[in-house]
Amino acid sequence: MRARIVARPNVLKIVDLLRQQGHEVVAPFCDRGRDTYFDVVTNENRDRVQIHLANPFYPPKRFVFPQIERLLTVQRHDGHLAIQPITRAPKRALFGIRSCDVAGIWHLDRFYLGGKYRDEYYANRRRNLFLVNVVCTDPDRDIGEECFCVCADTGPAAREHFDLQLTDLGDEFMAVAGSAAGEALFSDPIFAPATAAHVEQRRALLEAVRKRFKTTTSWFSATVRYVSQGQILEATWEQVGRRCLECGGCTFICPACTCFTVSDRPAGPGQIERVRIWDSCALAGFTRMAGGFNPRRAVHDRRNRRFFRKLAHYFIQRELSMACVGCGRCVAVCHGDIGMPSVVEMIRRATAPHPASAPAQP
Amino acid sequence: MARRLTTCTFCGVGCGLYLETTANRIVGVCPSLSHPANQGRICVRGWHVHEVASSPDRLKAPLLKKGGRFEEVSWDEALGFVAARLEAIRARHGADALAFLNSPRCSNEEAYLLQKLARAVAGTNNVDHGSGVYSNNSINVLLDMIGVPATTNSLGELQRSEVILVDGVDLGTQLPTIGGRVIRAKLAGARLIIVDARRHRVAEHADLFLQLRPGTRVLLYGAMAKVIVDRGLVNLGFVRAWCNNYQAFLDQVMGFDLLRAADICGVSAELIEQAAVAYAQARSAAILYSTGIEARGASSVRAMINLALLTGQIGKEGAGIYALTEHNNLQGVCDMGMMPDRLPGYKPVADPAARAAVGGVWKAQLPSSPGATARQIWEDRHGGRIRGVWLCRYDPVTTASFCDVPAALQQMDLVVVQHLFLTATAQYAHVVLPVVAFGEEEVTFTSTERRIQIASQVIEPPPGPLPAWRQLVRTAQVLGADWDYTSTAAVMDEIGQVVSFYSGASYDNLARDYGRQWPCTKDKPLGTRFLFQEGIPGRPFKFMPVPWPAISRYAPEDFPMAMIFGHALYYWHQNVLVQHSETLKRELRVVLLDYPEGFVEINDADARALGIRDGDRIRLRGQGGQALTTARVTGEVRSGTIFVPFFVREVEKQLLGAAAPEQGNLGKPVFVQLEKA
Repeated sequence: MRARIVARPNVLKIVDLLRQQGHEVVAPFCDRGRDTYFDVVTNENRDRVQIHLANPFYPPKRFVFPQIERLLTVQRHDGHLAIQPITRAPKRALFGIRSCDVAGIWHLDRFYLGGKYRDEYYANRRRNLFLVNVVCTDPDRDIGEECFCVCADTGPAAREHFDLQLTDLGDEFMAVAGSAAGEALFSDPIFAPATAAHVEQRRALLEAVRKRFKTTTSWFSATVRYVSQGQILEATWEQVGRRCLECGGCTFICPACTCFTVSDRPAGPGQIERVRIWDSCALAGFTRMAGGFNPRRAVHDRRNRRFFRKLAHYFIQRELSMACVGCGRCVAVCHGDIGMPSVVEMIRRATAPHPASAPAQP
Repeated sequence: MARRLTTCTFCGVGCGLYLETTANRIVGVCPSLSHPANQGRICVRGWHVHEVASSPDRLKAPLLKKGGRFEEVSWDEALGFVAARLEAIRARHGADALAFLNSPRCSNEEAYLLQKLARAVAGTNNVDHGSGVYSNNSINVLLDMIGVPATTNSLGELQRSEVILVDGVDLGTQLPTIGGRVIRAKLAGARLIIVDARRHRVAEHADLFLQLRPGTRVLLYGAMAKVIVDRGLVNLGFVRAWCNNYQAFLDQVMGFDLLRAADICGVSAELIEQAAVAYAQARSAAILYSTGIEARGASSVRAMINLALLTGQIGKEGAGIYALTEHNNLQGVCDMGMMPDRLPGYKPVADPAARAAVGGVWKAQLPSSPGATARQIWEDRHGGRIRGVWLCRYDPVTTASFCDVPAALQQMDLVVVQHLFLTATAQYAHVVLPVVAFGEEEVTFTSTERRIQIASQVIEPPPGPLPAWRQLVRTAQVLGADWDYTSTAAVMDEIGQVVSFYSGASYDNLARDYGRQWPCTKDKPLGTRFLFQEGIPGRPFKFMPVPWPAISRYAPEDFPMAMIFGHALYYWHQNVLVQHSETLKRELRVVLLDYPEGFVEINDADARALGIRDGDRIRLRGQGGQALTTARVTGEVRSGTIFVPFFVREVEKQLLGAAAPEQGNLGKPVFVQLEKA
């Protein structure tokens, strides 16, 4: 079994271990109020790393897919152009990524690496990223009002796609290796053998935690069916669209959203840089074509597109994962309260057949 | 990787967001979940603040025009030239030949020092912000009627309002965070009343949508007041205890006829009645309107505030008047005295005791007669008197569409422009002084809910430009003034001595939480959530009688379409940050690509009736002339109205000839006939 036990006082030594191995370790810290964030661990802030805290709002996808990323520079020099790709990606460990966000990274892996075209920029950053997943076990500190990973089947404990996973059992933590790189850490003496009793303790803990989620729910299965079978009325999308203020926040904050645009811009005398910038299908210009034609000019057509991409069976099959991980960030970021849970509910109410109008039995 | 909390630089909401930086570049932005104004939400503009990296067309050094061309010079040479020219003009033509104008996006510190330079050093009250819109329609009215020139309540309280009335502002595009709050309040059970000729996104959620004809607000609000009086819904206790001038107001209200008002407004009498009753009966009802950019007449603002006083909807949570400021620091620059007739803190320049108090802190004698407004200066240099002008972050050639600004500038002996880029206005300057950008200096802005907030420095500015406030200090010093501010915090300390409701707003205090809402004094260092929350002192409120306007019919017989000249809706498309963000350019400026010859917006039903399709050329025929332009067809515009974006100036000129609309009259429609060209 690839499980070990770590005494509570030794958990942050895993951070030290990773730093010694040459990783830039990024871990969660508390900020003002409810705000939390990932930051590089230094000798100065190491003791302020938090295990149990609200999931940082800025999604960890930015470590593999930055909000603005320089791809290459073109320099004019002596009459010719020198093109220099920017491929440097730091060796980094993400300590404290949540299970929902692990599923998000996996979804991005499928999108950027799993198709015919491999995104080398993404690959560089991903190859150099070590994930230490911390399981959400504290209903007060870990689980937010908006969390619904249980509905998306991504949490509270990820089953795979991490390098190391830590579960707080009370006096001690259970560490589970999810990859060879994770297992390689176990040679350190802070990792003691785990027993069957520990495994049972973890199982019972997780079962109890699943019942301690708050009021946000998102019952996907019927909605996936309605979306996939094209049963949703235009009026429902119009209802959603009326509440949208076209900010793009849902896309930017979502751990499983991947869209971007590319732009060339001057970077100095005789120099141009090409950047990749997050983009959003919520924005009117996203599908605008040269010449002005725009197949999704109306806001409700854009809302339709988002939820189709998130929920249609075609995409779930293609990426082997649903593009919603149940993190709840879209609930917090949205001005009009049309995050995933609200829209799923609106679709269910509007589309579910009324018993009296059910088709007669064959 | 570093991140710092700051205040957004775009609109008046003042959202809290974190800027992420790496190696002296801003590389990311994320909303603050805990910030009381926005609580995790920002708009598309805020989401792209990081895209404005160092742009190669940023000005790197001061420019001095020599032989008709700009030459890069040192700061000493540039400021020396400015000081010498300022002194020469003053010596020859008097202090009032100089004017100092800024933009409502300037920081509190810049604004304060600019008007101090004008008043204490140059000796003139020729001071104004942008085109002075806030002053024009609201400041005097608010001071007169409720004694405070600002939003009375907080944004967070909107979630607790029972009734929300939004008048004449498209919140979804101008102040999206507030738009979101209003939508969510409605979803949670509040009743939403929208008064607007335009069916914008938030209007889609209205319980009562009063889609009135342009220019008829006074009739509408007067009719509502009449209904409230007739139905016995006046809050007499409130009126008797705290309001003056009720009888004079009542006398005018009795002259309003609901049915006639309904007929002229184009809104059914039933709807007007329902809105009046809902507003009056609510436990807490808020009125939201916009003070800037979109000019509106002062009488319509008076009529709205009359309703709030009539029903006692001031001085309690969830109620109040939201005089929304659409720019990030429109409130702040006015608090700082960037008005020709008011000192920092709003006391009139004509008041000797006020001048003595401020002059005591500044150790200077202050000029007593009110100065020229920006509008007067651009129209004819205030009768030819203005010979030198200092423009801080202000680009009137682009934004002051109602005047021939280039002509005014070309006749001046000194034009000083402080800006990031070589703007259209800078082309006419004698001296251009490069400033630093958002995130490159620590300054404060005051949001629409009176929240004084720090905008942090997150990166070092490029070598060359100087903070605008430092340039003002150095200029004052060259002119012999004894200024020695070492930091913006020091400037704020002095502001606290001059503006009583900022007296507790030190940088230390502001940094502790999420800024402070003024009044923030030494006695009340935590600030004030809503005005009059500790009670209403004395009898501070005053009704303003608003008579039935002289209007026999709405539109002339042959010219049935009302043209509204609008500024707000497309204003942000000109903002410098938008121009340097790929995404914002695509989202906001693309309309300029789609309609390369400009456009006016017409209602889809009107278009269908006339056989006009989107993109067709159309003719507008008015009493003074005619114009050819392109139609943009939308269901948002009220049938019978045409919306003209401010940058389509040719249309205005062709229709009205020499009598182009005055800024203050943009609320009054011009009537035309519409046909396919």
